Amino acid sequence: MSEIDFRGPVDSVALSAPDGAITLADESSCTKVLVRGARKTAAGIHLKVTYGRSRRRKDGVLVCGSRPGEWTLLAEPGRSGDVAESIPSEGFVSIVDITHGRAMLRISGRDAVGALAKVCNVDLADDMTPDGAVFSGSVAKVTCDLVRDDRDGERSYLISCERSFGRYLFSAVADACVEFGVDMPPGLSIH
Amino acid sequence: MILVPCPNCGPRNSSDLRNTGEVVPRPDAATASLSEWRSYLYLRDNPAGWVTETWYCRSGCRTYFTIERNTATNEVRGLERT
Amino acid sequence: MSPRRIPSRPGELIDRSTTVSFTWNGRAFTGHQGDTIASALAAAGVEIFSRSMKYHRRRGIFSANHWDPNLSVQVGDEPNVRAGSRRLLEGMQVSAQNVWPSLRFDLGTANQLVGRFLSAGFYYKTFMRPQFLWHSLYQRILRKFAPGGRIHWNTSTHGAYDKRYAHPDVLIAGGGPAGMAAALSAAEAGATVMLVEQEPELGGHLRWGANDDLEVLADLRSAVEASPGIEVLVDSTVSGRYDHNWIAINQRSHPLAPERLIKARAGSLVVAPGLIERPYVFAGNDTPGVMLAGAVRRLTNLWAVRPGDRAVVLTASSEGDSAVADLESAGVEIVEVLDARSGADIVKVDGRGRVRKVHLGDGRTLAADLVVTATGWTAPTSLLNMAGDRPVYDPVAARYFPHALPDNVLATGGITGDGSIAELLAHGRETGELAAARALRIRHDVLTTTARSTSPKGPRPETVPDDRIPLRRVPHPECYRSSTHGLVDFSEDISSKDLMQAASEGFDSIELMKRYTTVTMGPSQGKLETVNAASVLAEARQVDMADVGTTVWRPPFSPISLGALAGRIFEPVRRSALQDWHEANGAVNLLAGQWVRPDRYGDPMAEALNVRNNVGLIDVTPLGKLDLRGPDVPKLLELVYVNRWQKLKVGRVRYGAMVGEDGVVSDDGVTGRLAKDHYLMTTTSSGAGAVWEMLEDWLQTYRSDWEVHVTPVTGGLTSINVAGPRSRDLLERLVGGVDLSADAFPYFSVRTGTVAGVADCIIWRIGFTGELSYELHVPSGHALHVWESLLATGSDLGAAPFGVEAQRILRLEKGHYIVGQDTDGLSKAPTAGLAGLVKLDKEDTVGLPELRAAFDRTDLPVLVGLQPDDPTVVPEEACQIVAGDSNEILGRVTSSRMSPTLGRSICLAQVDPKLAAAGTSVTVKLVDGSRITATVQEHHAHLDPEGERQRV
Repeated sequence: MSEIDFRGPVDSVALSAPDGAITLADESSCTKVLVRGARKTAAGIHLKVTYGRSRRRKDGVLVCGSRPGEWTLLAEPGRSGDVAESIPSEGFVSIVDITHGRAMLRISGRDAVGALAKVCNVDLADDMTPDGAVFSGSVAKVTCDLVRDDRDGERSYLISCERSFGRYLFSAVADACVEFGVDMPPGLSIH
Repeated sequence: MILVPCPNCGPRNSSDLRNTGEVVPRPDAATASLSEWRSYLYLRDNPAGWVTETWYCRSGCRTYFTIERNTATNEVRGLERT
Repeated sequence: MSPRRIPSRPGELIDRSTTVSFTWNGRAFTGHQGDTIASALAAAGVEIFSRSMKYHRRRGIFSANHWDPNLSVQVGDEPNVRAGSRRLLEGMQVSAQNVWPSLRFDLGTANQLVGRFLSAGFYYKTFMRPQFLWHSLYQRILRKFAPGGRIHWNTSTHGAYDKRYAHPDVLIAGGGPAGMAAALSAAEAGATVMLVEQEPELGGHLRWGANDDLEVLADLRSAVEASPGIEVLVDSTVSGRYDHNWIAINQRSHPLAPERLIKARAGSLVVAPGLIERPYVFAGNDTPGVMLAGAVRRLTNLWAVRPGDRAVVLTASSEGDSAVADLESAGVEIVEVLDARSGADIVKVDGRGRVRKVHLGDGRTLAADLVVTATGWTAPTSLLNMAGDRPVYDPVAARYFPHALPDNVLATGGITGDGSIAELLAHGRETGELAAARALRIRHDVLTTTARSTSPKGPRPETVPDDRIPLRRVPHPECYRSSTHGLVDFSEDISSKDLMQAASEGFDSIELMKRYTTVTMGPSQGKLETVNAASVLAEARQVDMADVGTTVWRPPFSPISLGALAGRIFEPVRRSALQDWHEANGAVNLLAGQWVRPDRYGDPMAEALNVRNNVGLIDVTPLGKLDLRGPDVPKLLELVYVNRWQKLKVGRVRYGAMVGEDGVVSDDGVTGRLAKDHYLMTTTSSGAGAVWEMLEDWLQTYRSDWEVHVTPVTGGLTSINVAGPRSRDLLERLVGGVDLSADAFPYFSVRTGTVAGVADCIIWRIGFTGELSYELHVPSGHALHVWESLLATGSDLGAAPFGVEAQRILRLEKGHYIVGQDTDGLSKAPTAGLAGLVKLDKEDTVGLPELRAAFDRTDLPVLVGLQPDDPTVVPEEACQIVAGDSNEILGRVTSSRMSPTLGRSICLAQVDPKLAAAGTSVTVKLVDGSRITATVQEHHAHLDPEGERQRV
C-alpha cells in the first residue's frame, strides 16, 4: 500500500504573507488517531491529559484531550500503526484511525489570531486559550477541532475538520488571511 | 445571542449549541398509554420564568447538559451534566 | 474657490497644504484632506445639499455631523452617504439625491402645493383603495418619489463586506472625554478595552472646544494611543446591544471592506454617547441657514468654514453662548442674541434658498442669513433601552436620564448628567474602573469554568459597589416649540401640525403616532426628533412630558447597510475525494444539502441502462457513516431502529428504518457487523448529523451505562457503489482477500479486504439499484486510485460512472423510497410500507407506543407504486391525485421518472388508503390542469419485484 500516495482534500501549497506574519499550510496527511475510553482505563491513565489540554509525548506524538473521555493523537504522516499500537487497549477502549477522515491545516504567525477572529467566535486571548489549549468551535461555519501548538515561541494553531469540508475550510481561512497580506490563489476564492 | 454555560467549555454562544427544550421525563415505552406518550411528545409548560432545559454542546464538547434558564430574562443558574 | 473658508483655527482638522478634487452634481470642486464632503462644499459656498422627502423643500447644513438629516448624498455608486461625517477623498463623484430633474429645479416641489394630501397618515389614507391601482399606479408613483439614492446592481467599487469577532472585557460606546477617561482607567485596571467612536476621530465635543479643551483632548489622545490594552475604532458605531452583552459594531473606515460588522462579547458595556442637540420647532425651521449651535461650532472650529454673514442666535444654554463667541471669531456679524431663558423667541423664518428674515416673539423682524438655535439636548439612550432600561424624563433638566441598568451596562458622560470637563473626566474614570472590576470578575469566572483556559490568577475579585458620584443635572428650560408650527422630523418631512392632527384622529399614544405618521423612522432614527415628537404629543393631550413616554429605541443605533449585516458569506461546501475527478470528466454538478456531487456525466438514461446491462460506478460518499464500537451496540440498534438487530452475525448487513418518538419515519440505511463489537452504520446523506446527535443523546441521557462509542467516518470512507450484472466480474479482478462468489459472499453480507492494492476496504453486497451490486468503503486518501483502477480495469466490461439522476431512475424502477421525498410527517412506519419490518415485541424502541397505535390506523396515507395509463406521460413530482373531476385531494405523486428499462413512465405516490389496493384507477391532476388516469401497482417495485437480479 505504501506505493499508493495519500491524497488530501487540499491541493494548495502553503500560503504566507510577504512579511511572514502569517502562514497557512495544509497538514491533512498527518497521522490522526482517535482514542475513546474512560479516564480510569489504562489508555486514559497513559494519555493523562484532560479535556482542553495537550502534551507532546517523547516520541513526538501530540496528545490532545479533545473531548471528555476522548483523545486525538497527532503525528507525522504514516504513523497510524505505531501510534495505535502505543495505546493500552485493555477495558472498554476504542482506537479509530481518522487520518483519512479529517482535513487539517496549520495557521501560524503574529497575525494568525487576527485572521482567526474573522472566522471563529472563540476568544483566543492568552489566558483563555494558552499554548497547548485544545478546543472545538465553528470556523467559517464548519465545526472544527483546534489546538494551539506554538512553534518556536510563535503563535500556531492546528485546525481540523471533517475531510469533505477540507477544501472549503482552507479557502475560507485563506480568505480571512488576505487582510494580512496573503495573496489568494485563483480558484480558492469563496466569493 | 445568549451565552450558555457548558460545564466543560465554559460560556458559549447559543449558536454553538442546540437547545433540545424543556426537560420532560420519558415514560416507559412498553407500558405508557398513548395519552401519556403524547403528553411527553407534545405538552410543555412553556413558562415566562424559570425552566429546566437541555442543551447539546454541538460545536464544542458534544455533551448534553441541563441548565435552569429564566425565559423572561435569559438569566441562567445551576447546571449539570445529564 | 473657497469664499467661506476662514483663517486657520487651533482645532481645525483640515490640512491646508493638500488639495482634494471632487465633483458635486458634475461640477468640479476642491477641498482639503480632513474636510467632510459637506464642509468642503460649504467652504465653496454651496448652501443647498438636498431636497426634503415629501415636499422637496430645499435643505442645507443643519447639524453638520453624522446625524444631519439634510446631508444624505450619492457618492459614485454608493447611496445615502452622510456628507456631514464622510471624509472627502480625491476623485469622489458626489451628487444630490431625491431630486428630479435637478437639485436647483425640482419638479417634486409641486408637492408643497398639495401638502394637505400628504399630511399625517397619508400613505394609509391615499393608497388604501381602490386596490387594483396598487400595482399599476401607486407603486410607480411611490417609487418615483421615494427618497434615497440609486443602487447600482453591478457595483464594482465595493469589495466584499467583512465580519470579525471580538472579546473585550470592557466595550465603550462613545469616544468623547468621558468615554476616553473610562477607557484609560479600565485599561489601567487590567481590562482589555474596545473604544468605539462614531465620528472619524476621538474627542467628542472637546474637538470644537476652546484651547484648554484642545489641550485636554491632546493629552487624552496620547494617553489612549500609549495604552496597549485599548483598541480604538473610529468611524464606527455600536449598532446594537443584545442578551449577555452581545454587541454589534458597524466599522465603516476599513481598508479592506466598505463596512465591517464586528460581533463583540463584552464583559461590561459603557454607554457614553454624549448628548445630541435638539432642534427648535417653529415656522420655517428647515430653511437653509437655520442651524444648530453645534453645527456652527463644528463648521467654524473643525473645518474653518464661516457658516453665514449675519446671525441671529436663540439660546437657552451655554452652548449658544459658545456659538456666539465662535461666530464672532469667524467674522460673522451677530445681529442679535435672543435668550430663551428670559422669554425671547423666534416665531418664523422667511426665505426659500436661504434665511432672509427672522420674525421674533416680540413682533420685531430682523434681517439675517443665519439662525442658530441652542434650545436643549436629547440623551441618545438607545443602547440603554436595548439593555432593558426605560429612561425617565426630568422636567428640570428637560431631558431623559437612565433609570435602572443591569450590572454589566454602565453609563457615563452627558447622558447621565452635566458637568465641567474635569467632572466628566472624573465620572468617566470612575465608570471605567467599575466596568473593569465587574468585567474582570466575569473573566475570572469564565477562566474557572473553561477547560482549555489557564487557571485565574488570584482570588475571585470582590463585587465592587457603585459609589460613583453622580453628575449634576443643570436646570434647563423646556424649549420645544414656538407659538408656530414647524418641522419635527426633518428626514420624513413631518411637522408639529401633522402630529397634532394624528393625535386628534386618535393616534395619541407615542408608539401609535410613530407608526401612523412615520415620525422618528427616517435616517436620523429619532436622534433629533423623538423628544420633540413627545413634547408635541404632551401638548396635544395636555399632559406632562413624563406621562407621554417615548418610543422604544431598537437596533440599529444608526442606519447600517444590508451588506454589512450580511457580512462575509460563509457557505460550507462538502466534496468527496473523487469530486475533482468528476469535474475533470464532465460531471454536471448538483448541490445536495452541503454536498456538491455529480448529477450526471452525460445522458442519465444511458447511464442507467449501462447499470442494467453492464456495470456502473457511482460515488455515494455523502451517505452518512458511523463507526459503532462496544459490546452494547446491538442494544442501541434495537432501540433506534424499528426492526430486530440482536442476532445479526459478523459479516452480515441489514436494512433498518428509524422513526422519531412520534413514529414517523426519520431515516434509513444499512448497518453491517464488521467484527464482534464493531459495526458500521449508514444513514441518509442529509440525516447523518441528526442520527449521530440522536445516538449521543441516548448514550448520554438515558443509557449512560451502555458501552458504545460512536465515531462519524463519512468523509474518511469514500463510498463507491459498483452496480450491474458485470460488477462481480469487475471486482474479481481487483479485490484481494475476499471470495466474491455468490455462495461465499451472499446478498446482504460484508467483507473487509483490499481493492486495487488498498487495504482496509469495507465491501458490502447490497442493492439500491436492484442489480447485483457492491458498495466499497475506501480510505479516502486512496480513493482516487481505487476509482481510476475500477474504470481502467473494467473498460472492457463497460464500466462507466453514473450520477445521482441515473441512480434516482434506477431506484424508482426498483421502488425504493427516499425518506423525506416519498415520506412526510404523516408517514408512520407501519403505513409507509414498513409494516413487515416493525417489531413491536421489544422492551423499548424509539416511538414504540406510536408504532403500536399506527397499526390500528386506517386513515393514514399509503405509499404505493403507480403507473400512468398513458406510458409517455410523466406527471411532475408533487402532482395531486384527485377524486375524478373534482379537486378533492386524495394523494400526490412523490417520485416520477421515465424508465429507460421499461420504456414507460413510473411513479411512487402517497394515496388515501381506500385507493391503495392494486389495480385501483386514480386521477392525477397535472401542472397544466389537465387530468390523466393511472393505476396502482401491486408492488413499489416496477422492475423485478422478487429481487432476482440482485441475488445472483
